[in-house]
Amino acid sequence: MHVIILSWEFPPRMVGQLADHVKELALQLVKNKVKTYVVTYDDFLTGEYDEPEGIKTYRVTNPVRTHIGVLTWVLTLNQEVERAAANVYYTTGKSVDMIDAHDWHFISAAVTLKKALGIPFIYSVESLEEHRSHGANSPFNMAIKSLEWLGMYEAQKLIVKSDWMRDEVFRLFKVPLEKITVVAPKSTHWMKTILGTYHDAAGGKGV
Amino acid sequence: MTSAPSIMMLSWEFPPRIVGGISPHVYYLSRSLAKNGAKVYVVTCDFPGAPQHETIDGVEVFRIDSYKNPSPDFATWVYLMNVNMQKEAAALVRSLDGKIDVFHAHDWLVADAGIGLKHVFRKPLLTTIHSTEIGRRNGIHYDYERMIHETEAWLTYEAWRVICCSHYMVSHVQWAFGLPQDKLVMVPNGVNVETYARTEREDLNGFRNRFALPEEKIVLFVGRLVYEKGVHVLVNAAFKVLRQVNAKFIIVGNGYMKEQLSGLVKNMGFSHKILFTGFVDDDTLRKLQTCADVCVVPSLFEPFGIVALEAMAAKSPIVVSDTGGLSEIVEHDVTGAKAYPENPDSLAWGITKVLLDEGYANWIRHNAYKKIQEQYDWHQIAQKTKRIYETVLSEYSRSFWS
Repeated sequence: MHVIILSWEFPPRMVGQLADHVKELALQLVKNKVKTYVVTYDDFLTGEYDEPEGIKTYRVTNPVRTHIGVLTWVLTLNQEVERAAANVYYTTGKSVDMIDAHDWHFISAAVTLKKALGIPFIYSVESLEEHRSHGANSPFNMAIKSLEWLGMYEAQKLIVKSDWMRDEVFRLFKVPLEKITVVAPKSTHWMKTILGTYHDAAGGKGV
Repeated sequence: MTSAPSIMMLSWEFPPRIVGGISPHVYYLSRSLAKNGAKVYVVTCDFPGAPQHETIDGVEVFRIDSYKNPSPDFATWVYLMNVNMQKEAAALVRSLDGKIDVFHAHDWLVADAGIGLKHVFRKPLLTTIHSTEIGRRNGIHYDYERMIHETEAWLTYEAWRVICCSHYMVSHVQWAFGLPQDKLVMVPNGVNVETYARTEREDLNGFRNRFALPEEKIVLFVGRLVYEKGVHVLVNAAFKVLRQVNAKFIIVGNGYMKEQLSGLVKNMGFSHKILFTGFVDDDTLRKLQTCADVCVVPSLFEPFGIVALEAMAAKSPIVVSDTGGLSEIVEHDVTGAKAYPENPDSLAWGITKVLLDEGYANWIRHNAYKKIQEQYDWHQIAQKTKRIYETVLSEYSRSFWS
């Protein structure tokens, strides 16, 4: 199975705790014989490509250097993420089975890749704009919420880290509960549940 | 190329949604390409009352939801709209089994969508640069403008060829983004003479009376009321013209300068001579252009100057500022009168000359009408554009992407 992970943070780039989580996830996937590709943001701490512990890692920069906010920055960066992921798709002979998009940042790339190439994706929810911005509803917050909604609508499956987050996703976005899998990081059956969810999202392809 | 190319046009405006010159450009280019045997799909923003999908003169038009995402400002709206456009276009291409040969993006407003589609389908991207931020703003002053400027640069970088509508724009775009010369192609903008041929000036007396007294000459301006269009220069020139000629200035269009200028006109007691109509529908616009005694294009920055062509097609004499694309369209004293840019005295001289010298006015408008039929005909423009697609596809067929 070939999986592309999209995450805006990946070691050595640390913004919050997502970087470590994604690294651990990717390591476990590699151990379980999943061909794992990570597409992330290059903040010049590494080269554009490296392979830490077997994780094929592509790092892209933003082609537009000047921005008026995080939203325009994320949206233009998505195009490079999309390009890198499409390159993986073509160079592996179109054998990418699934994409795992972490948080809202690269949802738009995941959605285009799904529509264009038929690659299903999982939206792994780290946090929600509703909580980050304490319910603020300015157009800026609403724009991010609309991207989160798009991800939840288009995703094959959602992975959340707690029952509380599952209930919040249901409360705020009315996502059907059977679409959401709760996986507490590093819990006993962590990897087993993840692989099972990947398997379902990829339409029953072998893991 | 064994068969006709399949083209997907991306444009943020397409009739009935009309913001500026891109809308009619994409409309006429698409239908002329379709008449020349190309298969053309247009993906554009939605508009109240317009269907999500329709076929117009052989062109398949798809309108996407462009207001799904709330946005803090215009540029962010553009990038978010591109998310939806890209998503819908991707689904459409997939439903066609990927059978699109070329993506053609018009201006930075669809840059993200064009670039994304290029890479996910690995097909060539072309762009037409109609205007630039650095030209519109006369320099780059704020981060907001720089972001747009860099997005434009990125689009031209990703494009296989960059089409511009005038020699002026070719050199401007080459300078602005540091492009290699062989990446740029000049294809002029066009005008559809037939849409004007239906209306004769003589039949419009009743219509004309709604705007001007029979003894008043009509001076027409059509454009967005923004700084770069030079409408303030025309208002200054109007006061000078009115000392010599009994005329009615009709200013069609909207923009942020409207209140300021109409306030100035009112305070100077010229409201009865200088009329601000706001945006008017196509039919009214064509009739106004047909019954105008002179059409004025006083722009400070003008990549092409489509309103000048429209006036020429409507057989109205034109006075233009000698800048940008206008310099190429108009030959002074032959197909129009040229004035110094941002110079109300020079502009007033041109307008007065055309209004008072009937022989001169007839001479330039007849020459102008002849010129547009020879050089700005959509059929020829479509053929030239189709040849560019074919060249690009032949180069593409030798690349590792094909």
